[in-house]
Amino acid sequence: MKCLLIASESAEILFHWTDQEFQQNVQEKYSSSQEEGEGLPAFEDIISTLFAPIIISCGTMVYRQGDSYTSFTTENNHIYALCQFDECLYIAVNGDGEEKEDDLRRKLYVLRKMTEVMFGMVTLSGSLLRKELRPQDTEQRVRLWKHLQSLVETYNYLRESDQSFLVEAVERLIHPTLCEQCIEFLERRLVQQINSSSLVERAGEEVLHTFILVHTKLLAFYSSRTASTLNTSDLLTLIIMAQNMYPSNVELDEPSPEDAESTSGSGPESFYTPEPSPSSRDSSSSERPARGSSPVFEFVDPDIQMAEDSLHTLEIGPPDPSTPRRVFLELKDGQLPMVPHSMYCLPLWPGITLVLLTKVPNIQITRSVYSFLEDFTKLEKCLNEGQAGSGAARGQLNMHNTRSKLDKFIRDLGPSELQCVQLLNVWTEFKNRAFTRGGSGFNKDLIPLCKSMKTRLCSLYRQRFLTDTGSSDGPRCLSPALQERAQTMVQEKLMDWKDFLLVKSKRNVTMVSYLEEFPGLVHFIWVDRSSGQIIAPSLNITERTTSELGKGPVARYIKSKVWGLVRTTRQYLRKGYSTVTLRDGDFYFCYFLWFENENGYKLEAGDIPILPDDSPPIGMLGYDYYRKLLRYYGKNHQGEAVKCYELLTVHLGVIPTEIILQHCRQLASKLWEPSRNPLL
Amino acid sequence: MAELILPDSRRCHYFFLYDGSKVRGEDDPTRKGICYFYPEETPLDKQDLLCSQLAGVGRCVSELSSSQVSTLRLRRCKFAIRMKDDFFWALGCSVDTPTVSVCELLHQLINLFCFYNGPVRMSYELNSRETLAARWTCFLSHLLSAQSPLHYIFSCLRTMDLTNVDPLLLLKAALILQACQRCPLVLAGCIIFKGRVVSTQLSPELTMKVMVHEREMYNKAQRTNGTSAPGSFGCAVSSTGVFLTPPELQHLRSPPVNKDSSSHSSSQKDALPRRSRLSRTLSDTPSSEPEPSDPTSPHSSQKLSVHPHWSELDNSVFSPTPTQSAAGSTTCSPRAQRPSSSQRRNSHKAEEETLHKFYYQSFHDSTRGVSQIEGEESSTCEGNLHLNGGDGACETEFDFSGPSANVKTVSGDNEACCRSTKDHMTEVKHLTLPHPHTLESNEQSSLIAMTLYVHRVNSLVLALLVEPHFLNDTASIEEVYHSSLASLNGLEAHLHTISPAAPEPAGQYLFAHYDCIQNTLTTNVSGRAVGALEHPFVRATSLLHSHFCSTETLQEAIIRSAGTAVYGTRNVAQETFFQQLGGPPRNSGIPNHQDSAFSLPSKARHRLLKHGVNLL
Repeated sequence: MKCLLIASESAEILFHWTDQEFQQNVQEKYSSSQEEGEGLPAFEDIISTLFAPIIISCGTMVYRQGDSYTSFTTENNHIYALCQFDECLYIAVNGDGEEKEDDLRRKLYVLRKMTEVMFGMVTLSGSLLRKELRPQDTEQRVRLWKHLQSLVETYNYLRESDQSFLVEAVERLIHPTLCEQCIEFLERRLVQQINSSSLVERAGEEVLHTFILVHTKLLAFYSSRTASTLNTSDLLTLIIMAQNMYPSNVELDEPSPEDAESTSGSGPESFYTPEPSPSSRDSSSSERPARGSSPVFEFVDPDIQMAEDSLHTLEIGPPDPSTPRRVFLELKDGQLPMVPHSMYCLPLWPGITLVLLTKVPNIQITRSVYSFLEDFTKLEKCLNEGQAGSGAARGQLNMHNTRSKLDKFIRDLGPSELQCVQLLNVWTEFKNRAFTRGGSGFNKDLIPLCKSMKTRLCSLYRQRFLTDTGSSDGPRCLSPALQERAQTMVQEKLMDWKDFLLVKSKRNVTMVSYLEEFPGLVHFIWVDRSSGQIIAPSLNITERTTSELGKGPVARYIKSKVWGLVRTTRQYLRKGYSTVTLRDGDFYFCYFLWFENENGYKLEAGDIPILPDDSPPIGMLGYDYYRKLLRYYGKNHQGEAVKCYELLTVHLGVIPTEIILQHCRQLASKLWEPSRNPLL
Repeated sequence: MAELILPDSRRCHYFFLYDGSKVRGEDDPTRKGICYFYPEETPLDKQDLLCSQLAGVGRCVSELSSSQVSTLRLRRCKFAIRMKDDFFWALGCSVDTPTVSVCELLHQLINLFCFYNGPVRMSYELNSRETLAARWTCFLSHLLSAQSPLHYIFSCLRTMDLTNVDPLLLLKAALILQACQRCPLVLAGCIIFKGRVVSTQLSPELTMKVMVHEREMYNKAQRTNGTSAPGSFGCAVSSTGVFLTPPELQHLRSPPVNKDSSSHSSSQKDALPRRSRLSRTLSDTPSSEPEPSDPTSPHSSQKLSVHPHWSELDNSVFSPTPTQSAAGSTTCSPRAQRPSSSQRRNSHKAEEETLHKFYYQSFHDSTRGVSQIEGEESSTCEGNLHLNGGDGACETEFDFSGPSANVKTVSGDNEACCRSTKDHMTEVKHLTLPHPHTLESNEQSSLIAMTLYVHRVNSLVLALLVEPHFLNDTASIEEVYHSSLASLNGLEAHLHTISPAAPEPAGQYLFAHYDCIQNTLTTNVSGRAVGALEHPFVRATSLLHSHFCSTETLQEAIIRSAGTAVYGTRNVAQETFFQQLGGPPRNSGIPNHQDSAFSLPSKARHRLLKHGVNLL
């Protein structure tokens, strides 16, 4: 019983995702209120009708009470979480008790993050985002919604099954030698070769980051020297996208070397079909080895099947695998958000993927567009608050600066394009109003023009980076041959390692290796929040595998405890408690968060901000709480690089508390060592 | 002492009752449905907005989920919601209040209203909105005037500081209550001193409900008496009609012997499994042993002698037949049924004087008391049975001008008294008939009328829940009155001499010990003014309490921020919270077994022993 939707202020559904149970439930409810003989309307219309009162009431409350709904609960424990992002209302519903309010809010933030990565600055303009999320063209809409829906599914699956998505940090394979070799290989061979190939072949793109994923775990990550760091939030999002494209069924038994070829990693939940792509690059892609390299991301998972049904199952050709995904990523620690990149996901073997992130040409204008957008937003806010005197004057002052910059910007663009012409028109009108003597000057009348300037800037950005309507330059991406070369190179390199890697990814860290030193320890999770890395023993809970935790039900019980513990400690962290110990049933749980400087010197525990219940979720994916926390804490530690660590442990309850605490201490220093190995 | 405390604005932002059945058509204005809105000075359009939006969204969500909305949160306010038969209640508190507490508060508030007024729909059919609004205000102010923020979090009873009271006095209080139970018409009761429970035989919920009346009466008396000292109105007896739910009544009627066992066996099906009646005094526990073997003991006889009235009442209540329900309370208005002219006169008079208010009269207030005795024929059990605004909650006032005089007049006027009480009972019976559309397992619809008898001696109050016809059984009244009078006087005198406990020298530690079964709190966080020192403790306690409520398997927890470390532990019956003051020495937050936070459990065990808290 799960549902997720995005609605505009006018109660138009911009996106929805539901599981089968929710859909059935809603349809039954609707058909009972429907008169005999009438056919059931489209599911989207039903959803829209049922949720409309909530959405409208939400708008009314914001408008008249200056407050908005954040959640509802019902007596049968259905939970509704609501978030307003700019002009869109996001709603998540759970009716099966599997998720708590915090999970729902997290899901909304993750969905929001995905739209940002997919649409970049277009998300800053309500009207454009509305068009983007709900294209007029049905086929386009179906394709987009299906894509977003399957991203939501993939995220749901990962959050429920993968510890790194539980705590929102990246897990890497612990094998220092191989890791190092791979990084070196990526640097010296792969990136160099691609970046030194002809400009035409790589269409002006340049590889900035590249990484190898084994399932969701990172084997190697290399960033070129000119690139700025990829933050954890973006990296996690990219892993979700890669997983969505090439879903790996972690619950499958390790494929034996001989049948690895034949199964192609397709378990009961995924299958691969020959590519029916009728695209222009048909010939080139057909040359590529058919083996597992052209999977179509279609699950036969019932939930996804539902989602398809709800879209009337339009036949839509799969996207060409060699076409990169446009992703918008943050640069320079968030100072420059939503810079366009191309993401190439090259499957090496089922479960192992190579990802390339390239810089696309002409991204300089994003910086200018973003700063103009900021200026106009500030001005609009100023005018809205009615700061006639000083505020507007200051705004005016800034605007004179902006004026010259914007004039130059438009001149440099060259007024040939339609978008530029439109921008110029609005800008001319704005100038006439604001700066000339006959104009009205800086007052509230300028607000609509501010809005339309923002829309124009966004649509320029959109036209440049989002809609690749094949311009004269031809396709703007690495040539298929180049992609293929990269793929083969890494395949050759890792050929002997592939089976090892697939097994290793499931038993990356085992509890066994800790049991002798820490008797009574059941499980732990260690996270370095400054680099966004997690170390935790693998939790295998399938019936077929037996882990240290035992088989099936026991392991599953412990898993549910761990998931619950993370949820609980987040609640306390939100209220400023950085140490929590709990005696719960037969277990004793500990949670610690602390700060260190770069040399490992423990810094004094500082006050942690107390946040309201409906504040953004604590994590790194949808909203980077820890970056904010580090910044907050770092204020008192100027000139020092502050690191933040977290440790969660689960012990048997019979172990004396003193011993448990000693364990935690030792564990913290033991885990600190491997984390020193560079990730990037 | 018990001045009318206005609800703390920080605790409750809004409370309203909205009647959706009044706003059916397109043209019906929202305010037609607003039965009560707190704060009353809220601008009307804001009232309209909140009522219509919240009720609308509530209905929409309820339909989507096929279940009623229980909480609704805004960014700055959190609402507990109750929806029933077109009624929509919302209680809005600040967002830091634990959700469980807000829901519990609303639950208590609605139950309190029903206890004194009967089913809500019926109350609103019989009374004006203004009348009932005054009652909501009164109940709300009572619930919100907790001793400390901690009391508010746990929604617990106000009790005497038992460490400061001679245990013999508690025993004495318990014995008084037991003595009263010798009268078979008395179900159970409690003794309250200065608004705090000394001893109770009632469940925590019932005790809380009973205390509201006592306090209201006290307030009224204070107001009518103006500046006169509390001592001037000595002791007085009064009564009022109340409504109990079938489980509550069943529990009261079953003899104490079987209560423990029955509460065990019925705990699965019973709506109030854990809130079994446990007297807070020593009296109940040992007394349960000898009694079952002794059939002549008053308790057993209470059970055995089935009064004809009871069975009649029981039948009408427990098995509402279609014909009865068809009679509907609307058709037989109690006003139309009011019998004798003298009765009517009395009621009218009473209504004029203390219209819709709890009536309080002391016989020490000589001029009035005398005039009443002389002016009206029925002097003793002066059947001043006026319906409380006609909703079935009745008030009776007794006057014991002197023990000997009483007996005479009572016997002389017995018949009239009986008749009036009987009339009253018929009315009550009709009123409790379930509404046709609320028949389905609805606790409100099957409320049973009972009577609350209150005997005040200065600051001490004996409150007893009695069978309604107790009022016409003069012998019983006499017996209860005289058997308890002397003891109450004695107890009052003793309790009065107890000086309030000297405030703990702050600086050592803070603790709160909550007894979930008796719903009481022992704490050294005192007073309403919680300073910066106590605030972190209150916050941590509220978080831990919510956590304990939501996670059944959780036994103990230590939570620590940079400046505070709080330890919480619980078992089936209790929750205990402890904080060492002086702040833990600064440390890094890295796991460290020498961290003072982890020595809290042993410190708590050690320190709390002297407060009578044994953490084993």
